[in-house]
Amino acid sequence: MELHLGLALPTNPFSPIGYEGPFYTNVNTSNGSCSSGGGAGGSKKRRGFDEETRVVPKTLRLLLWKTDQPDDEDDPNDLDNSSSSSSAILKNDGEGLVGWPPVKAWRKKPRRHVHNGRGRGRANNNRMAASKSTYVKVKMEGNAIARKIDLSVHGSFESLSSTLMRMFNITEEHWQKSFKLAYQDREGDWLLAENVPWRTFTRSLKCIKLIRR
Amino acid sequence: MQKKRAYSFPDEVLEHVFSFIQSGKDRNAVSMVCKSWYEIERWCRRKVFIGNCYAVSPKMVIKRFPEVRSIELKGKPHFADFNLVPDGWGGYVLPWIVEMAGAYPWLEEIRLKRMVVTDESLELIAKSFKNFKVLVLFSCEGFSTDGLAAIAAGCKNLRELDLRESDVDDLSGHWLTHFPETCTSLVSLNISCLGSDEVSFSALERLVGRCPNLRSLRLNRAVSLDKIANILCLAPQLVDFGTGNYTTELQPDVLSNLTAAFSSCKELKSLSGFWDVVPAYLPALYPVCSRLTSLNLSYATIHSPEIIKLVSHCPSLQRLLVLDYIEDSGLEALASSCKDLQELRVFPSDPFGVEPNVSLTEKGLVSVSLGCPKLQSVLYFCRQMTNAALVTIAQNCPNFTRFRLCIIEPKTADYLTGEPLDVGFGAIVEHCKDLRRLSLSGLLTDRVFEYIGTYAKKLEMLSVAFAGDSDLGLHHVLSGCESLRKLEIRDCPFGDKAILANAAKLETMRSLWMSSCTVSFGACKLLGQKMHRLNVEVIDETEPPCSRLESCPVDKLYVYRSISGPRSDMPPFVWTMDEEGDNNSNQKDFFFLDMFVRNNHYISNSL
Repeated sequence: MELHLGLALPTNPFSPIGYEGPFYTNVNTSNGSCSSGGGAGGSKKRRGFDEETRVVPKTLRLLLWKTDQPDDEDDPNDLDNSSSSSSAILKNDGEGLVGWPPVKAWRKKPRRHVHNGRGRGRANNNRMAASKSTYVKVKMEGNAIARKIDLSVHGSFESLSSTLMRMFNITEEHWQKSFKLAYQDREGDWLLAENVPWRTFTRSLKCIKLIRR
Repeated sequence: MQKKRAYSFPDEVLEHVFSFIQSGKDRNAVSMVCKSWYEIERWCRRKVFIGNCYAVSPKMVIKRFPEVRSIELKGKPHFADFNLVPDGWGGYVLPWIVEMAGAYPWLEEIRLKRMVVTDESLELIAKSFKNFKVLVLFSCEGFSTDGLAAIAAGCKNLRELDLRESDVDDLSGHWLTHFPETCTSLVSLNISCLGSDEVSFSALERLVGRCPNLRSLRLNRAVSLDKIANILCLAPQLVDFGTGNYTTELQPDVLSNLTAAFSSCKELKSLSGFWDVVPAYLPALYPVCSRLTSLNLSYATIHSPEIIKLVSHCPSLQRLLVLDYIEDSGLEALASSCKDLQELRVFPSDPFGVEPNVSLTEKGLVSVSLGCPKLQSVLYFCRQMTNAALVTIAQNCPNFTRFRLCIIEPKTADYLTGEPLDVGFGAIVEHCKDLRRLSLSGLLTDRVFEYIGTYAKKLEMLSVAFAGDSDLGLHHVLSGCESLRKLEIRDCPFGDKAILANAAKLETMRSLWMSSCTVSFGACKLLGQKMHRLNVEVIDETEPPCSRLESCPVDKLYVYRSISGPRSDMPPFVWTMDEEGDNNSNQKDFFFLDMFVRNNHYISNSL
């Protein structure tokens, strides 16, 4: 039937890839009850699992998470580094674990206002990180009017270029032949975008200019 | 023997019959009956839900369903809510809007979740869809109030504008003035996420005043309490209202005006907002409390006695969102006052504190489970738990559909016995046969996953953190949970074996997220090479994974099924594991389109 053809999964739905370990032998049996019973109805293969589940849970090596410092031990503020795992996880002085507890970024700190003041709306009760505007000015050489572009939606030069091409009505050919992407960095120097990696570019740029070759 | 006579209805009749079938699942079933039903159905499908915007391309959707009026798209993985997905990851809606602008001139509704929306997209929406009615941007980002101004000005028949929890570049409050005086069609307006101090309040008032069908209005924090009375008097027909900040200088009239304003709202059933609450003004709500079915106090920093007072006036309450200031005592009061309660969410007031700042423990949840027989959905943050409590809760509430427990400190054991919480969560999955969503926390071994794989047959979404001992845990879940669609895992010792052994299972799911686990780069490559209908994406912000050994674990892994191949908009820190062979988009893929478009594995279940 067409239906089956169209839905052909690998013939053995549970065929593992490139792995011949203990799971392979057990994979086709249906799930039995929890191994708390005597394994009635379970096959010999099931017992193989029982043996493994009897392993005493070992304390896990703490998985290190990323902080801005490459090496936690060198952090002079972190006095608790050598102490028990629980306090190392919840450092109060810094960010602690990324994304834990799982509260949404804008919910992190319910602000307590003094009750007898006029409540003033906060400028940014959304993200905890300062919400920098990611818009930068773009100017095309020979064109008096500057445009604005939102850099945060682009992840690469290709993406940026295609948007710029669309914005200024430049064809792909024309772009390749006649234009170069230049930018002014925070120190005021003008640099060519083609020589830098994307992340360096986005971090240091102040505004963009399309210059003619 | 009698010959069977074939009856065939004209297409229009079938189309009329199909128009009564709204659910996507049912529509998918209809389209599988035969070729002619497939054809008729696809021309009259009006609503499409795409759970992962990268699972299918806009062109494919348009080709299959040419006359869509309503689309819903989701972008980033759920863990993006907790900053685990780096900025710039993707989820851009613009390519969809561009394609739909050409193909669906009569598009009426766009609902997006966790997508990057730009002002350019919003402008294009306003320009391209003459009958546009509904825009819902749930947890979206990338746009500013300029884009909103374009929507306000351009969409003449706008009914719903809902920006819930989105991150908006709030340049000015004046965008509200862009709603023309002729706009009277608004039914729902949610601007609660807007941050700026200036909301053009007079424009808002005029807008509210001229929209007689306005049913839902959620203001942002900047709107002060003294303004609310006016708004409510302009819109006494409101069913759902979100206040701004619930505070103002203590003045004699405010309370009475507010109380009178609330009394005039005979239809009001749902309240939210309540930033910066001054308890003295809460009694203004009493006139509406008896009808309230939904109350969101999750921004209200009021304490247990005040919460108890309020909640005890609300016997019809079905849904409560609250901070843990409610404490065990408040939850006990809730259990005795609100017998209709179906959903409870308790958020932490001090999530990063090491010591508990409130007396909220497992006992509170036990009381609610005992007193509220209709309880179905729970999200609960606390600092201690026991297996016994979980077993009791499970026995009291066999109707749970969503159970998310977050014990704030990772790997916290049962505080009475010192044991892992395997048995407690095991009881939850065993008793709650309709459980669709589960989030685990506390000290957990592979055993809890064995329970889950055995019992949680309807489970669709599982969130796991700091749990398990070995690949066996993950294997239990992947091999046992038949209905699993989304699996998200962080900081667990799960590696290559379980994933590779269950690779085909991943094609029956929407997505798998694993971060800070022990999946090797080599395994990711192998998975990507062998499974052509999976996109295997490795996220690493420090260096390319290929610069390290194949056996090195990847930082973050996101695997999702897709019939449109690897995406082309990846930022530099996302690597896709290449496939062998090429993508073929032939007819076969359209059968799969159902699977991906509705994200149900109806087909694989019926095999």
